Amino acid sequence: MAFEAGGSMDAEAREVRALEAEIAALQRRCQELPAPGEKPSGVRKSCQKLPQSDSEGWESSKDLRSHLGHLKSELSFLSTLTGFNIRNYSKKIEAVTNTEVTEEGTTKVLQRHRLSGNCNMVTFQLEFQVLEIQTKEKLSSAITDLNIIMEPTEYSELSEFACRAEERRDLLMFFQSLHFFVEWYEYRKHTFKHFKEKYPDTVHLPEGACSHCMEIHSTSRPGFELVVVWRIQINEEGKVSPKLDLLTKVPQRALVLDKNRVIETAPSSFQTLLGVLGIEAALDSLIKLLCVGNN
Amino acid sequence: MSRSHKKSEELPRVQRDENVLRTKIHELRHLRDKLRAEVKRRQARVKACSANVETNQTAEISEQQVLEKQKENVKAILQAYRFTGLSGKLTSRGVCVCISTAFEGNLLDSFFVDLVMEKPPWIHHHSIPVFIPLEKIAAAYLQSDLQRFLFSLCEYVNAYSGRKYQADRLQSDFEALLTVPLQRNSLCNLLSFTYKVDGRDQSFSFSARLLYEDLTATLPTDVTVTYQGMEASTHWEEHRASHEILFRTKPLHQVFASFSKEVEKLDLSLVS
Repeated sequence: MAFEAGGSMDAEAREVRALEAEIAALQRRCQELPAPGEKPSGVRKSCQKLPQSDSEGWESSKDLRSHLGHLKSELSFLSTLTGFNIRNYSKKIEAVTNTEVTEEGTTKVLQRHRLSGNCNMVTFQLEFQVLEIQTKEKLSSAITDLNIIMEPTEYSELSEFACRAEERRDLLMFFQSLHFFVEWYEYRKHTFKHFKEKYPDTVHLPEGACSHCMEIHSTSRPGFELVVVWRIQINEEGKVSPKLDLLTKVPQRALVLDKNRVIETAPSSFQTLLGVLGIEAALDSLIKLLCVGNN
Repeated sequence: MSRSHKKSEELPRVQRDENVLRTKIHELRHLRDKLRAEVKRRQARVKACSANVETNQTAEISEQQVLEKQKENVKAILQAYRFTGLSGKLTSRGVCVCISTAFEGNLLDSFFVDLVMEKPPWIHHHSIPVFIPLEKIAAAYLQSDLQRFLFSLCEYVNAYSGRKYQADRLQSDFEALLTVPLQRNSLCNLLSFTYKVDGRDQSFSFSARLLYEDLTATLPTDVTVTYQGMEASTHWEEHRASHEILFRTKPLHQVFASFSKEVEKLDLSLVS
C-alpha cells in the first residue's frame, strides 16, 4: 500500500514539477508580450522605422496635406487675380543636341506643353512646343508651334483671332487679348441687362443677355426700330476694342416724310454721340429719344 | 479536539501529503491554464495590431503617393501661369507677381512686383524699369482694381520688351545694312538709323525716324523716311514711300529681312 502511494506520489510530484516549469515558461512569455492596455511599443518602433527606409525625403501625410493646402490656395488666388483658370497642364521634354561642328557647345531642348482651362465663359485647350537653345553666350526660348482650341465657337471674332495667334505662335498675345475680350464681353452683357431692366418695354435683346445687339422699339409708333450693334474687335496687334453701330428700321412712309434726312444720318450722328458721351450715356439718350415718343 | 481535526490527524501522513499534492496540482493546472489563455490573448493582440499597422502603413504610403502626385500637379499648374504673362507666389504679406514678356513667340525678360495686400494694397518693391510709368498706372488702378492694374502694367512692360527685342535684332542681324548705327532711348520708343538698300541699278541710302507714341504698342505711330542721296532720279520715291508703310505695319527686323530677300531676288535675276 505504502509502496503504491509512493509510486503515485512520484508521478504527481513529477506532474507538479512539470506544471511549475510550464508555468514559469508561460510567465516569462507573458512578460515579453505587452499587457492589454499597454501600447505595443515593440511594434511601434518597427513601424517608425519603415517610412524612413522606404520613402527618404518624403513628408509625412500630415505635412503633405498642409503643403498641398497652401499650394491650392495659392492657385486659387492666382486664378482669381488673373481671371485665368488653368485646370490641366502637362509637359514633356525632349533633348535635341546639335552636332554641327560650327555650333559646338550648343544644346537644344524641345518641350511639349499641354494646357487647358477657362477664362470666364471661354474654355481653351492649348498644345504648344517651346524650343530652348543654349549657346555659350545666352539662352533663348521660343514657341515653335501653337495649337488653340476654343469654345464657344460662335464668336467669329475670337476664332479669327485664335488663327492669327497660332500663325504668329504668339501665346502671350492670345492670353492677354482673351482677357480684354472677356472684360468687354462682360461689360456689354452688364450694360444691355441694365438697359433692359431700366426700360423693359422699349428695349429688346433678341439673343438674351449675351446678345451682341440691342433693339429699341417705339411702342407708340410700331414699325420704328433702332438697332444698336455692338461688336468686340481684336485687331492685328491683338488690341481689343468695342465697335458700335446704329441701324434704323423705319416704315417706307416715314422715310419719304423725312425731309431733314434725320433717319439717314442717324448712324453717323450716333458715332458722334458715342465720342462725346461714351457708350452708356449715348445709349441712354438714344433710348430716351424713343421713350419720349412712347408717352 | 474536533472530529475533523482528529480525522486529519488520524489520516496517515502519506495520505495527507497526497492530498496536499493533489490540491497543488489542481492549483498549478488552474494557474497554467490561466497563463496559457493570457499568452494566447496577448499574442493574438500583437498579431492583430501589427496587421493593423501594416494595412495602415500601406494605406499611409498610398495616401502619401496620392498627395505627392496632387502636389506635383498643382506645382506644375502654378508654373504654367507664366505662359499667360502673369504668375506669382504668395508671400507672408501679400503676393509677388511675376510679369513674363514675349514678342511673337520669343520668350523674353520677366519682371516682378511685390505687393502688400493691405486695404489699400501697395508696392513693396519691384523690378520694373524706371522709364515705365508705374506710378501713373498704380495711381489709376492699384487701389480700386488690382486685376486691371496688373493687366495694364503688363501691356506697358510687354510692349517695351517687344520694342527692345526688335531694336536688338536689327542691331545684331542687320549691322551690315546700317550705315549710321541705331540710336535709341531707354524706352525704345524713339529710334533713328540710316540704312542702305540695293535697288535695280543703284543703292539707296535712307534715314528713318520711328516714334512709338502709344507705349502699349510694338509698332510705331509715326514714321519718317528721308532720302539721303544726291541723285535726282525718281526711283527712290517709290522705295521711300513703301518703306514708310512697311515700318508702320511690320516689326522692324522683319522689314529688314524683307530688304535682304529683295536683294537676293535681284541677284538671282542678274545670273539668269
